Amino acid sequence: MTDYDPTETPALELQHVRIVHRAGRPDEVVALRGIDLAVPAGQLVTVVGSNGAGKSSMIQVVSGAVRPASGRVRIGGRDVTRRPDWRRAGDVARVFDDPRKGTAPELSVEDNLALALRRGGRRRLWPAVTPRRRVLMREQLARLGLGLEDRLHEEVGSLSAGQRQSITMIMAALGAPRVLLLDEHLAALDPATARRVLDLTAELARDLGSATVMVTHNMEHALELGDRLLVMGGGRVVADLPRALTRAMAPADVVEVLVSSGESVSDRSLLAATEAGES
Amino acid sequence: MSGLLTDTLITGLPLVPVYLGVYLVLRIREDFDLTVEGSFALGGGVCAVLIAHGHGPWLALLAAVVSGVAAGVVTACLNLTLDIPVVLAGLVTSLALFSVTLRITGQPTVSLVGADTVATSLFGEAGRGDAQQIAVLAVVVALVLVAFAAFLMTELGLALRASGVNAEMVRAQGVSERGLVVLSLALSNGLTGLGAALAVQTMGYADVNMGVGTFVAGVGAVLLGVLVFRPTGSQVARIVLAVLVGTLLYRFLLVGALRIGVPAGDLKGITALTLVIAVAAQRFARIGLTALTRPTSSTSASVQTPEGTPT
Repeated sequence: MTDYDPTETPALELQHVRIVHRAGRPDEVVALRGIDLAVPAGQLVTVVGSNGAGKSSMIQVVSGAVRPASGRVRIGGRDVTRRPDWRRAGDVARVFDDPRKGTAPELSVEDNLALALRRGGRRRLWPAVTPRRRVLMREQLARLGLGLEDRLHEEVGSLSAGQRQSITMIMAALGAPRVLLLDEHLAALDPATARRVLDLTAELARDLGSATVMVTHNMEHALELGDRLLVMGGGRVVADLPRALTRAMAPADVVEVLVSSGESVSDRSLLAATEAGES
Repeated sequence: MSGLLTDTLITGLPLVPVYLGVYLVLRIREDFDLTVEGSFALGGGVCAVLIAHGHGPWLALLAAVVSGVAAGVVTACLNLTLDIPVVLAGLVTSLALFSVTLRITGQPTVSLVGADTVATSLFGEAGRGDAQQIAVLAVVVALVLVAFAAFLMTELGLALRASGVNAEMVRAQGVSERGLVVLSLALSNGLTGLGAALAVQTMGYADVNMGVGTFVAGVGAVLLGVLVFRPTGSQVARIVLAVLVGTLLYRFLLVGALRIGVPAGDLKGITALTLVIAVAAQRFARIGLTALTRPTSSTSASVQTPEGTPT
């Protein structure tokens, strides 16, 4: 799709990032084995991999929920490795797999959005919801086409999973994050709702111009949306495929790469898989 | 009957700020802070000693607030630096506060008979009348409730309201959990100190044991209020109304029990009973209400299942 200037500072950069859980104990688990990744602003990277491949660990290390054993995390060129998650929130927006995680169910739609409006900024002794902010909220909610702009006072807990996940997406987009993390955010939705939230994802990712990392189990979604597809396995990136390569791939080809990802996969075998898919 | 109402208001209004603090930690933060038992006695003691030494009643009120805030910060620091759960940290602080309060007052009971109060500072000797006392208490309590509601509607207050329900989401929005712990405990115990000072000035004495049972009584009053108003996180006006009405209702029950001849020694039992009944009614009414109002919504049902159980 778009060409990216390699000399430009990437919006998100991981350097030799290793994550070790329960280090030094007999049941030690290495979740990431030295990941290198640079995502320029405006690029949407989709990530696939089997369970335990390290997808969620990568999301967590970018969000700051987990600190790496070694390696560096940079956002917009700035080293944020040692910053806890709440101090990165101004740069990083997250949408969780569970629709209930991204919003506060007891609070109204407008209160949830107001919380996101100040993401990363200082919380002041100033009214959280002002008439001006309400206008902005209505505008943003209207993009969803769900009629939520007229339900600002309703409790989020009374909305459906799809509506809540859509609101979480809007919340993530408020405050223009440099990095947008989507951790299987369609997993809990029914197919029709997932489709709608997926379209919204594509639209927001395009408008925001942030570096977007989207973890998914759905190969079709991964191929359709990604400017670039990462295949992960055993805590490593086993394949890093640009749009030019994935355009011709079918979901079955990606599955094949996944299955063979016990070992690292060479570009040649991938090309072979791609050609096999076309014939 | 009018005597019943007068007694309810005179003994109940000073407790409104205290139970507002209990509401803040219990319902908004979804945590238990037992510091209030200690900070209530501390605030009362500080207020009494200052007045007994000839300082103004308003200054004594302020000092009681400051002492309460300090107590809350101590509990918060125990929680944050040593990872002691807030329940236990509060218990430890309130235990220590017994000794601190006794040091400050120098004797278990400080009498303020004939001393200045906030009411006499405005009305002179007439300020010892019930009507004048109630008027002053009502104004102070109204100011506290309005200020608290306004605070909850600020960006900071909003973060606080969200944090009890979904801490992970609040962190993802860039709010420090640690900051909120300090803020909520300081605020809650500051309110407790204020209420204790008001209580001491209307009762005419302070006692080192006056805080015992404050927490449980507060929970009972809060639950009564919640039962009546059913506030959710975004209904700020309902939150403060629930605390006001819950407190007065709870005091009304106690005063009423005394009036019909229940011995004073049984009052703690009645407090405990009120709490149990409030919890029972809460459970029963909540199930009944969701069944009535949202018969088809599956999300509201799943939200109420405890964390970790498959839904």
